[in-house]
Amino acid sequence: MSVPSAVKEAVERLVLDSAMFIDRDELDLWVDCFEADGRYVVLPRENRDLGLPVGIMHCETKARIQDRIVCLRHANKFNPHFDRHILSMCRIRAVEGQVAQAETNFMIVQTNKLGEARLFCAGVYEDRIRVEGERARFLERIAVVDSFAIPTMLATPV
Amino acid sequence: MEMNLWPRADYSRVPFNIYHDASLYKREQEKIFRGPVWCLLGLEAEIPKPGDFRVTYVGDVPVVFNRDHEGRINAFVNRCAHRGAEIAREPYGNVKDFTCIYHNWCYSFAGELMGVPFVKGVKGKGGMPADFEIKQHGLQRLRIALFRGLVFGSFSDAPEPLESYLGEMIIENLTEVLGKPLRRLGYQKQRVFANWKLYMENVRDAYHASLLHEFNRTFGLSRLTQTSGAYMDARHRHAMLFQFKGSDADGEARKAYADDRVQRGDYMTLNDASLVQHVREHKSGISTRIISLFPSGVVHQIANCLGMRRIRTRGPGEVEIEFVQFGYADDDEQMTAHRVNQANMVGPAGLISMEDGEALELVQRATSPNAAGDGIVEMGGRGPLVNLDTRVNEIPVRGFWSYYSELMGIEPAGAER
Repeated sequence: MSVPSAVKEAVERLVLDSAMFIDRDELDLWVDCFEADGRYVVLPRENRDLGLPVGIMHCETKARIQDRIVCLRHANKFNPHFDRHILSMCRIRAVEGQVAQAETNFMIVQTNKLGEARLFCAGVYEDRIRVEGERARFLERIAVVDSFAIPTMLATPV
Repeated sequence: MEMNLWPRADYSRVPFNIYHDASLYKREQEKIFRGPVWCLLGLEAEIPKPGDFRVTYVGDVPVVFNRDHEGRINAFVNRCAHRGAEIAREPYGNVKDFTCIYHNWCYSFAGELMGVPFVKGVKGKGGMPADFEIKQHGLQRLRIALFRGLVFGSFSDAPEPLESYLGEMIIENLTEVLGKPLRRLGYQKQRVFANWKLYMENVRDAYHASLLHEFNRTFGLSRLTQTSGAYMDARHRHAMLFQFKGSDADGEARKAYADDRVQRGDYMTLNDASLVQHVREHKSGISTRIISLFPSGVVHQIANCLGMRRIRTRGPGEVEIEFVQFGYADDDEQMTAHRVNQANMVGPAGLISMEDGEALELVQRATSPNAAGDGIVEMGGRGPLVNLDTRVNEIPVRGFWSYYSELMGIEPAGAER
């Protein structure tokens, strides 16, 4: 399948930027990676395999994604840490009209404030991305988590 | 066993060493998890079809619970009678029988040994001794009792009847929450690096819910100013923490939390309030209840988020919590979507539960280097273990320790029961 290079670039930029926004703690910019009707689900691989809908995080709209971040900033107490997303190359599976389907493997290394790191999370992003010229936004991001026995807690988005 | 563990007979002091001592941990496996208790194994809805099984844990022992081809539910230890190999190698599935891959010993759903390859040898050579009896070598089985879609297992040969083990108050509340056939909506799993008993204290600690979890007090899901309480069964081994959303005025509640210097800034607001909306579906009108079942199970209702939790102990310093979220089989699409949305409140990323993982680890870390000293459990009063109509109350935590100590054989002189 040949993907127009402008689409490929826009998709890859969104996938990379969105990961960097989390690692840089620029979560408002991360929220803006989603369309207004964009959904975001952190889905244990076990639930995916069993066809069960419950996620670890499950936001059906951008408004709800924003609520998650407001709670994180305002109400939730969690383990102080830094995240580093390590991404694979992004594989574009299909492009239909303005919507590209892409998948990208990820690992997240989490480091505490004493400088001790652990492999926190491994999985794959399954994205549907709307591309209009240079602008790309998530219509859907499902982060399927292979390592769904979550150590301690999962506070910041994946 | 050290009998002077407890500084006070009413369990209002909890020695920090109790979260760390490896010999206590070993004894817990024997006296509690393999003792005269009923452990919550799971939901019937997890194994709906004949041949379905799932692996769970009783303490740290892996247990397979399953539904056989006659529809009966069974449970056995996931360990081959021959050489001790794990039999079920997948965490769940649907099978015709249970065959150990090592030497192909084959078991029924009830754990009876059905076949041993080449038991009589080949061409007159080898094989088992003539007096080897297949019937004598089944798997270690658990007794099973069912209640409203919950599956309980016991290692005891003579456990008390489940209904009397649970007691009237727990039965009444489970009956309301589990009032209709259940449908499983998904799993959430979390590993917390803290002793399992810290978690079982946490789910009995009525006091912390609106202090640790700001989300609770912001949206009135749980506030100490509400009509609420913490009740126990007659033996004080189980507990139910409950409240009625809307039973306090926002202004009064917010003033109380500001006056006691809990809330030090503005409250947040949500774009979409459906996350905290309680669609009333139970007669009592209780909006949140956390039902903790000794030793290791929980059934929760938080607004319309329904679930059970089971724990796996992984040594003195680690506990795994598995949340099984469910709805009712007759829920419409809209209600299912509402429950899936409200599942955001629980699990490892739960808006009102993620903090628990952190709080437990804080205790485990800070008490580890020098476990001398005791925690204080006096909210709600000392002495007798009583039910109170308030959540400014930690008495069910003392109830847990009371039954724990009875089973462990470490009760202090004049112990409260």
